[in-house]
Amino acid sequence: MHIRNFSIIAHIDHGKSTLADRLLQLTEAVSEREARDQLLDTMDLERERGITIKASAVTVHHTYQGEDYQLNFIDTPGHVDFAYEVSRALIACEGALLVVDATQGVEAQTVANAYLAINNDLELIPVVNKIDLPTARPEEIAMEIEQVLGLPAEDCIYCSAKTGEGIAELLDHICRKLPPPRKPITDKTRALIFDSHYDDYRGVIVYVRIFDGSLRVGDKIRMMGTGRTFNVNELGRYTPAQEKVKELGHAQVGYMVCAIKTLDDVRVGDTITLDTNPAAEALPGYEEPKQMVFCEFFPATTTEPSGKKGEYEALRDAIEKLHLNDASFTYEPTHSEALGFGFRCGFLGLLHMEIVQERLEREGGVEIVQTAPTVSYEIELRDGTMVEIHNPADLPDLSKVVSIREPIVKLEIICPTDNIGDLMKLCDGRRGTFKSQQFISQTRQILDYELPLAEIIYDFYDKLKSITRGYGTMDYEIIGYRSDRLVKVNILVNDQPVEALSLICHRQNAEKRSRAILQKLRKQIAKHQFEIALQASIGGKIIARETIKSLRKNVTAKCYGGDVTRKRKLLEKQKKGKKRMKTVGSVSIPQEAFLAVLEQGE
Amino acid sequence: MPPSTQLTRFGKAVQGSSCPTTIADLDVLGELSDGTAAPQGIYGHVPFCFHKCHYCDFYSLVDRRDRQPMFVQRLTEELRLAGPYFKRPLRTIFFGGGTPTLLAAEHWRTVLDAVRDNLSLESGYEFTLEANPETVHAELLAVLVDGGVNRLSLGAQSFQPKQLEALERWHDPANVERSVKLARAAGIWNINLDLIFAIPGQSLNAWLADLDTAVALEPTHLSCYNLTYESNTPMTAKMRSGAIRPVENEVEAQMYEATIERLAEAGFEHYEISNWARPGYRCRHNMMYWENENWWPLGPSAAGHIAGTRWRNVPRLDAYLAQGSWPPICDVEQLDADGRVGEELMLRLRLIDGVALDRLDELLAVGQRGPQRMAAIAQHIDGGLLQRTSDRLKLTKRGLLLADLVLADLL
Repeated sequence: MHIRNFSIIAHIDHGKSTLADRLLQLTEAVSEREARDQLLDTMDLERERGITIKASAVTVHHTYQGEDYQLNFIDTPGHVDFAYEVSRALIACEGALLVVDATQGVEAQTVANAYLAINNDLELIPVVNKIDLPTARPEEIAMEIEQVLGLPAEDCIYCSAKTGEGIAELLDHICRKLPPPRKPITDKTRALIFDSHYDDYRGVIVYVRIFDGSLRVGDKIRMMGTGRTFNVNELGRYTPAQEKVKELGHAQVGYMVCAIKTLDDVRVGDTITLDTNPAAEALPGYEEPKQMVFCEFFPATTTEPSGKKGEYEALRDAIEKLHLNDASFTYEPTHSEALGFGFRCGFLGLLHMEIVQERLEREGGVEIVQTAPTVSYEIELRDGTMVEIHNPADLPDLSKVVSIREPIVKLEIICPTDNIGDLMKLCDGRRGTFKSQQFISQTRQILDYELPLAEIIYDFYDKLKSITRGYGTMDYEIIGYRSDRLVKVNILVNDQPVEALSLICHRQNAEKRSRAILQKLRKQIAKHQFEIALQASIGGKIIARETIKSLRKNVTAKCYGGDVTRKRKLLEKQKKGKKRMKTVGSVSIPQEAFLAVLEQGE
Repeated sequence: MPPSTQLTRFGKAVQGSSCPTTIADLDVLGELSDGTAAPQGIYGHVPFCFHKCHYCDFYSLVDRRDRQPMFVQRLTEELRLAGPYFKRPLRTIFFGGGTPTLLAAEHWRTVLDAVRDNLSLESGYEFTLEANPETVHAELLAVLVDGGVNRLSLGAQSFQPKQLEALERWHDPANVERSVKLARAAGIWNINLDLIFAIPGQSLNAWLADLDTAVALEPTHLSCYNLTYESNTPMTAKMRSGAIRPVENEVEAQMYEATIERLAEAGFEHYEISNWARPGYRCRHNMMYWENENWWPLGPSAAGHIAGTRWRNVPRLDAYLAQGSWPPICDVEQLDADGRVGEELMLRLRLIDGVALDRLDELLAVGQRGPQRMAAIAQHIDGGLLQRTSDRLKLTKRGLLLADLVLADLL
């Protein structure tokens, strides 16, 4: 039996899931009736957004030149927020189908994913999909692929996952063109964990690819990264129906169940070996997923600002439950003067953050107030140590700080040539460094920049979309940390610093950002009997100031017989409003003021 | 079976609902009959106007003369019904609006006859009519004086066309002086002028000029109101949309302080937040409100208060005219003891003399919130907004400008 392990990689909406469905159907793994759209995606959210979040693996058979081929298809997340997961899935394969939409052409994620595959030594089959569309330009797109990625245009397979045209040829091509799995290099068992998910009844289900040796039901296994041991209770594969097996042999792909209670015990990328006869070395390339974007979640509450206990607990339960399914976000309890009890969470990227928020609201049934995202910073201290902080409030005393380093991304934008000037202006304004510019076709270009992650987490994507009228796409990859003139800006209300409002930003933007925050605050804080100074400071130096003048007059002019009830109610309302305030010094700040400042966007 | 009888079954269930019931469904008439609560005065509401001013949130309709006779008939019927329940002579009657002077002289004669026939008045009573300077004329004044009216409250608002225009108030400022002279000629010496300050576009000097013009007319009483942006008025909508800019808070404060100073110089006593009078001419009717006394309502939208129950006749002329017997009422409210204490403090502290310490002690001894109120009083004395004299608690000069901060804490 021949084995081919492969993935499909594509830009979002280029038809990856439809193609996967069609491949399964043609190999008769699924009947027509079962072939609901996007069969591999299991979550509602995935189907709605048309993105694949969790990788799954499916095994099908195809006969090529009279011989049986076992095709193990490993589905990957489409977005680079999940780059680490994508790369684990790719490591489990020898080849990948690079799917490009015949009308849209090469997009930012196409490029990012293709490079990821090439760097992992995968054989790529370029596939131009959606050739049934009237606006399809298959030959031009094939040229784009050649131009950008150096994959010969004549190697492209043209197909339509929707109509089935070209799919049989593609299956043959997979068998012919993709390399067979490498030979075992040791007799000790080594299996790569490339994904896992949590099942309410069976605990954690681990997806593995065997590189050396084999796994049998009853084996006592050891995770080489964590050192934890388990007994294998069940092995199997999805065809796509679940099919239990006694053994997963060389180069095979499947799932494993062994009474693992939480996803924390399983690390994607870790190597499984046998406890009794362990391998000397793990498979290469294991990394902890790294959270780069942080924000806080608080229960949305219209009544008490500190959050009724019940609401906080509901949020906690929802987060804990979701974490069983997605161990790649982090959470820790936090308390904000303004918003009460909540959680500070870390995410792989912006899309990841959005997905987690949506899933919490949808699956956990909680309403969430989300603060503006921040990034992680590396702080180099005078004593030579390095600390990582996720919250401006945690920044150590500046006299101890040598430098503040922030995450830098390599940003790739694909856009119409007409918009290049405006996009370069946008990137330059965001502390970007121009790297390169390349034509894909006569009308489109790739623009490469390096810029701080902090500069793209607010509204960068929206700006890009509006400049390019929706035609531009972007993708980014974190390439490291770099120090810059970063400063911590404190917000002072009548000389009292309000930690919940402090921020880290570039010195050059500090005035502008501070002024915007102070102006928002000025609108939200009611006049008091005394003048209120709102100030922004760096170190001890004031860089911006707004003033709320004192309230000189607040008196109901008319209160006669018919006014009594109404005026009393107005006063009661005023009093109630006071209760929902947070007091800083002697200044009452409404919850809304904190939100206005912390809320996403400028 | 008339609806009122039907609703009696629900007794106090009607509380706070807007469902049209009548005063006969509450305990009020019983309290009147056994003499435990007697009204000191009557407020009558005349809902007609010839134009709806943009700052006004009182119930009024642009007059269609055809409904005046029906209104008068209904009002006299109400008087006939209520009269027998009043066990003591009344100290004050006040007809407001709307524009009471828009009601034709012959109609006033009917109303005033009904007043004489159904009510008894204390000697030295006060009988006020609100008047629009545009609609005051000798024939009407003669009827009013003949019917017992002895005080006129003129809505002057401003003497400057620009400011009147901002209020959408259409009268010729010259008519204020003309009305004052006509009233004096008819024998009414007790005259109030209503003025408004902090009108968009008005400067401090423009306001002081208005104030001087008013003082020169030698009224016995002046009400000076800071323009209020009441919800549901065109004025407020314009302010929200940015079409007009309210006067700065600081300027409002200066206008108010200057008013206090100037009227003191002119020999007026400042006795309530927005009211000034020549010695002996404080408005008794309004004092009744601030001292939390009982009074009876007449006419659509008029509010009443008897022994802790507040209510209002429904603010719809059609509904008022339609039903026989007692008019339909709404906004019924019976506060608990704590609520009533808060309300009384809110009202009494509007008076410059404040509240007598004896009465304050009584009030603070009632209800759950006494200790909180005491703490709030102490805090505001510390903060310089309240002061305690040998026998009274009152707002300080600064407290007058920030009265709402204090009153909200005492509710």
